[in-house]
Amino acid sequence: MHRPRPLRVGLTALAVAAVAYTVSVGHASSLSAGSRSLGAKNSTVTACDSDGFTILPNLSSSNVASVTVGGIASACATAAISVTVNNGTTSSSGTGTVPAGGGSVTVTLAVAVPAKDSEQIDVAVSGP
Amino acid sequence: MTSHRSALAALGAAVVMAASPAVASNLTLTSKSLTVARACILTANSTTSVVGAETTVREGNPTNNYGTVTSTNVATQTNVNRRTYISFDLTKCNPAVAAGTTIKLATLRLFVTAIPAVCRTHDIFKATAAWTELGLTWNNQPFGTTLNNPVSASRTASLDVGASPCQNPTANQYVSGWNVTPDVQSFVSGTSTNYGWMIRDDVEASSTGRTATYTTAEANLVAQGPQLIVTY
Repeated sequence: MHRPRPLRVGLTALAVAAVAYTVSVGHASSLSAGSRSLGAKNSTVTACDSDGFTILPNLSSSNVASVTVGGIASACATAAISVTVNNGTTSSSGTGTVPAGGGSVTVTLAVAVPAKDSEQIDVAVSGP
Repeated sequence: MTSHRSALAALGAAVVMAASPAVASNLTLTSKSLTVARACILTANSTTSVVGAETTVREGNPTNNYGTVTSTNVATQTNVNRRTYISFDLTKCNPAVAAGTTIKLATLRLFVTAIPAVCRTHDIFKATAAWTELGLTWNNQPFGTTLNNPVSASRTASLDVGASPCQNPTANQYVSGWNVTPDVQSFVSGTSTNYGWMIRDDVEASSTGRTATYTTAEANLVAQGPQLIVTY
């Protein structure tokens, strides 16, 4: 039986599309059929260190040039670390990487911050 | 042609079936861990500083006040013992440490400019009554004039400072070891009033004089000011 060529092409394209779609959906392995609604849910983000860090500003002349973060758990090894120092009028940040095994790391600020009576230092460890 | 339409319809149904799971709600997303910490650093580094106060009381000059002196001492020797009183105003943290915040670590640091000739233990005690930087003397100090009072066992923390071998064997740097976390936690939680701390030698009235000298705010040295680091 002779089949018109356009129809064959259409069938092939549709089949390919169906397979491709099925395969792409298959990447999310925990999808389950049966639900037809889309919900939202909060989830707790885990932390690699639960007992806090030691945070020490290091001065160069009268400015905070870097910050040493210590007491980092080994679970944080190789994670990215970001430090921000704010003295109320000036703020500067720096980034680094937690060494293998955790421990301590000194993060140099992009711009030194004048030391004042009160400073705030924020530390964020992302990963590993 | 009819069979072609049927085939197309069947494939279309397959696509719909394949697409149906996409509306499922139990997508599982994985994310990197995120660990955050914030520290408030209070440094009393000038005569006009309002974040901290510190002074020495001297047994040998029991009615004198030393609140304007550029250094403070912890010393042990018969009849001439010296203690240091120090406090920090936690309300000067910016942003403020909210009441009830869990304090992960609080460390008090002093810059030592002269260390004892032998290693000595310096105990830190939470002060339990009010005092003022310009009014405090040996005779009117909150803990009274009895030596080795309060007992060492009631200290919040201690550190060793003096000639090597010792925990802090070097002059002209900050000493480390006074972990005052439980005290700061009690201040923030409101379970005790913040009167600061008293630091004394673990064994007062030594037969040989042993003195440590620490920098005070009145020295106007930014890099040497008494410091309280609160991590939360």
